[in-house]
Amino acid sequence: METLKVVWTFFKIGIIAFGGGWSTVGIIKNAVVPQWVDEAGFRSLIAIAQSTPGPIALNAATMVGWYHGGFFTALLATLSVVTFPVTMIGLTTLLASRITLNQMQIQGALKTGSLAMMLMTLWVLRPASADPLLLFFAIMTFYIGAFTKINSLWAIFGAGFINAFFGPPIRSLWEK
Amino acid sequence: MKQTNSKPKALSLFWLFAWINTITLGGGYVIVPVIGNSLEKRGWMQEDEFYDIFAQAQAYPGPLALSTSMLVGIRLCGFWGAVAAFCGVILPPFLVIILVSRLITTYGSLPAVQRFLDGAGAVVPGIVAAMVWKNGKRLLKDNTGRTRLIKILELTALTMLLVFFPRYSLPILLGGIASLYVLEGLWKPSK
Repeated sequence: METLKVVWTFFKIGIIAFGGGWSTVGIIKNAVVPQWVDEAGFRSLIAIAQSTPGPIALNAATMVGWYHGGFFTALLATLSVVTFPVTMIGLTTLLASRITLNQMQIQGALKTGSLAMMLMTLWVLRPASADPLLLFFAIMTFYIGAFTKINSLWAIFGAGFINAFFGPPIRSLWEK
Repeated sequence: MKQTNSKPKALSLFWLFAWINTITLGGGYVIVPVIGNSLEKRGWMQEDEFYDIFAQAQAYPGPLALSTSMLVGIRLCGFWGAVAAFCGVILPPFLVIILVSRLITTYGSLPAVQRFLDGAGAVVPGIVAAMVWKNGKRLLKDNTGRTRLIKILELTALTMLLVFFPRYSLPILLGGIASLYVLEGLWKPSK
């Protein structure tokens, strides 16, 4: 039964997964937290998805499926995210000559739409803990992503590495 | 002269996509240029034809890498090209995530691993904020005067709806995108 619920959830995510990975993250979060993953778990899931190959929505489906049923749930969840997109590609290819949507208009609408989805993602993923070190990581990553050409992968691995090995000594500076 | 437009077999197309999807980390906008370059290098597709397909792919729901690859597959080898692209995009990430999840199940309770995941997760809001910054700047730059004002209003309205009614994000977005499409047609910048 849980497999079916996971599959249905990710099928719905596939319908609105417009405009590249990051705009979809907020939608995915609303659908899986706290039902299947907790707040902190979801953040690590996204960090893992971003530092492994493949689209974020696919990675999230595979991982949620894996923890809630195993291999076959993971497989079905992954396939269900792409069911709708693949159907659309098939349909439009078959009906190619009959579709008269204006390309420029679609792109304009999707740009605004996906930016709204990103803003919503930012809202639901606003920093959850008041831990100064973790907040520092988030602010540094914003700086790196917005003003430098450094790949955000380095921020993910760097923050993970620093927190794993130097987290406790750094925190002992302000925690007594 | 490089020979172009030699048609590949569906199987070679599969291996190309599978390879690209194994070694490329990061989102759709990272992987798309890699696909374009490899296709051109093999003489399977010219760059401008590829970017035409890419522009089309952006209008589809779902991951950009998937729609672009599938449309390329259809163009090059028809139905089996689409199947090859689909498997090439889906399989490698699936196997990698299964592997990583197994590792986390085994080692996830170690304090150092837990701290690594916490640290890595903490950067996520920063990445999203940077994406918003970049895309927002582009939206302001591409539109001027009245169109800019309209865009900002549309954006605020849609974001508010999404934030306040998270349970209804599916209908809100479907309706939102459809209305934006119609609005886009009403306010054509007069030249």
